[in-house]
Amino acid sequence: MIEVFLAPAPWNDPELFGEQVISGLATGSIYALVALAIVLIYRSTDVINFAQGEMAMLVTFSMWSLLLAGFPAWTVIFIGIALGFALGAFVERTIIRPVEDKPPLNVVVVTLGLFVFLNSIATWIWAQGELPKVFSTPFGFTSVDVSLARVTTHSIGILVVALIVMAVLYLLFNHTKLGLGMRATAHNPGASRLMGVNVGRMLMLGWALAGAVGAVAGMLVAPITFLFPGFMLAVLLYAFAAAVFGGLDSPPGAIVGGLFVGVAENLFGTYTPGDIFGPEMKLPLTLLVLVIVLMFRPQGLFGRVQTRRV
Amino acid sequence: MSVWLFLGLLVAFSTGIRMQPLGSVVQRAILAGVLAVGLLVFLLLGAGFVTELFGVLLAAVVANLLTENYVPQRYRIALAIAVAVVFFLAAPWLLENFRLFQFSRVAIWVIVAVGLNILTGYNGQISLGHGAFVLIGAYTSAILMDDQQQLGFVDANAWPFWTTIIAAAVVCGVAGFALGIPALRLSGPYLAIATLALVISLPSILRKYDGLTGGAQGLFVKQPPPPPGLAGVLERDEWLYLLCVGVAIVMMLIAWGILRGPLGRAFVAVRDSEVAAAAMGINVARVKIAAFTISALYAGVAGSLLTQLLGVITPESVDLIVSINFLTAIVIGGLASLLGAVIGGFVLVLLPAEGPDILGNIPLFPDNFLQKAPGAIQGAVVIFVVLLMPFGVAGSYHRFIGTPPGRIIAALRSIPAGLRARLARTREDIVWAWEDSPFNRRSSKSASGEEPDP
Repeated sequence: MIEVFLAPAPWNDPELFGEQVISGLATGSIYALVALAIVLIYRSTDVINFAQGEMAMLVTFSMWSLLLAGFPAWTVIFIGIALGFALGAFVERTIIRPVEDKPPLNVVVVTLGLFVFLNSIATWIWAQGELPKVFSTPFGFTSVDVSLARVTTHSIGILVVALIVMAVLYLLFNHTKLGLGMRATAHNPGASRLMGVNVGRMLMLGWALAGAVGAVAGMLVAPITFLFPGFMLAVLLYAFAAAVFGGLDSPPGAIVGGLFVGVAENLFGTYTPGDIFGPEMKLPLTLLVLVIVLMFRPQGLFGRVQTRRV
Repeated sequence: MSVWLFLGLLVAFSTGIRMQPLGSVVQRAILAGVLAVGLLVFLLLGAGFVTELFGVLLAAVVANLLTENYVPQRYRIALAIAVAVVFFLAAPWLLENFRLFQFSRVAIWVIVAVGLNILTGYNGQISLGHGAFVLIGAYTSAILMDDQQQLGFVDANAWPFWTTIIAAAVVCGVAGFALGIPALRLSGPYLAIATLALVISLPSILRKYDGLTGGAQGLFVKQPPPPPGLAGVLERDEWLYLLCVGVAIVMMLIAWGILRGPLGRAFVAVRDSEVAAAAMGINVARVKIAAFTISALYAGVAGSLLTQLLGVITPESVDLIVSINFLTAIVIGGLASLLGAVIGGFVLVLLPAEGPDILGNIPLFPDNFLQKAPGAIQGAVVIFVVLLMPFGVAGSYHRFIGTPPGRIIAALRSIPAGLRARLARTREDIVWAWEDSPFNRRSSKSASGEEPDP
């Protein structure tokens, strides 16, 4: 029999398979959060925010400094979320608003510029001393047995936090007047303005929410990857893949896409034959799946088809 | 001395353009005065790139002030091009080697930017993945030029370097064609992310299949020596500089030819409205694939030159950030503009290299900041340029003070006719003056003598 799998086949070692899937779901829910932030911004302002990861990185580094200064963990978490919220709002107001009515590529380039700028600023402030820095998690890293596999408490914590964030966003969008206004703005800014929605404020709020969600993702990733100025880049790339996979204007799509990318990445890394693919090819393989999906659904799995007007 | 090249180019440039929209003669004289004060200030602060820049700007404005009212524009344009060509050819003797290297890189990135501008600026398809094509071109060249038998199956006789440029162009053209077909189904951000996926994946693939690519260490090649006739005259770096800039100029001319022809107009028509273009009888799919192919071909040529210039190529030679910066460069330079691509190429190389020096001349600026965060300047400049000049530097130039390249060409074309007319008028003037002069006794006498005669 040809050796197809690098690791024992799933039916021979279900525990390994279970572990891979659950840790995939955990990292996947981080991708889902960042993808959610990207989708929030894309829905409200039609911008792909390349600086999303770096905004989260800046917030996470600030939290690290606060922790070092001796603030209690829960205070720091709330300050971090508030910082992410404020940073998102500030960025939208100062540098995104002026280019909104300009050629669409300009906004992309502004976020790319912001990416480089924030990355450098963080390097300047925090790169003294040794890198990467250790970022602690309130959940701990002890292993626990769930029925099929052993997973760390941090993974479980990630899943729980991601679920809470998604639930809060769902309630906000579907059961509050504010959420209704934001959805209306995303759907049709002109009509919303006529109906008395403060469109500018809704756009700013979209960015602010994205900043906060990104910050949560940042503080969940940091304990795993440790903290250095580029630590969000890989996450951001997977999150882009997730957002596009699910459809850039669909929040549920972002979550499904994130979980899919997380699990696919783990399974590709574990089960593909080492001499042809192996762990180092898991990113290209995941992206290949993404591109194949896009061939059949150019707007992503759950995205809306753009109607074309002549 | 980099100042000499800049001086030449800027004087050439500024004498070639009209500056009346900048204000009256008095206003421009005031501008010259301000620049002179700036030059003085920076001279006192210590010489550096900014001093050179101010000096060059001053020289340009003064040259313009002096010549504008006396020399017709077409002669100034001819002069500008002549000066630019002379400085390009003389640069190996005027510039230090590291500047030559810098300008070689500028030339290479200009080729990429021209190609990307054809795709994104003229045809409206976003690509964040052009770094991948550059890498493919670079590796094609490196594999074919290999004479160390690093690779088992490739011919031990290295190909001559210039054939590998063509081979890289062909390989990348095919790759661009292959990518152009699936790209037909994607638009806007989806296409951007899909091309991003390409440039992220390529380094892992190059590292993994190291039988062909040399893995993480990459491939080493022998840089091409100067051709036999020039061997005594030029060093290798100088030859490489001339090679890169020469190829860049040829590629610019080809792009210019394509873009003003039927295909170029089809690119723009498809960008502005696919439906309308199709209604006009344009095969939209074919045009979009053509844009991808040509664009990738340009990146391939640039990649090949990069191999020749560096002598080594690794999977990290063109990374994600560089690839994304190509897009930044053409937006800053100006979309859908060849001049914009040139400006973008300069920005891509000179901004990270010279930005810290420029700010370093400002007193009280924290030194620590410049050493630790060179990217902060780059990022801030990018953001501000896009905020202030939404259509890029070239866009602002065309709008406010510029002469579009087409008009420059028209002016150049009119030179022979203009010269002939000027000569004819001069001859007339001379004849007229001679006949009227007191020295011309015979004709004036006969004329005056004949008149009273009844």
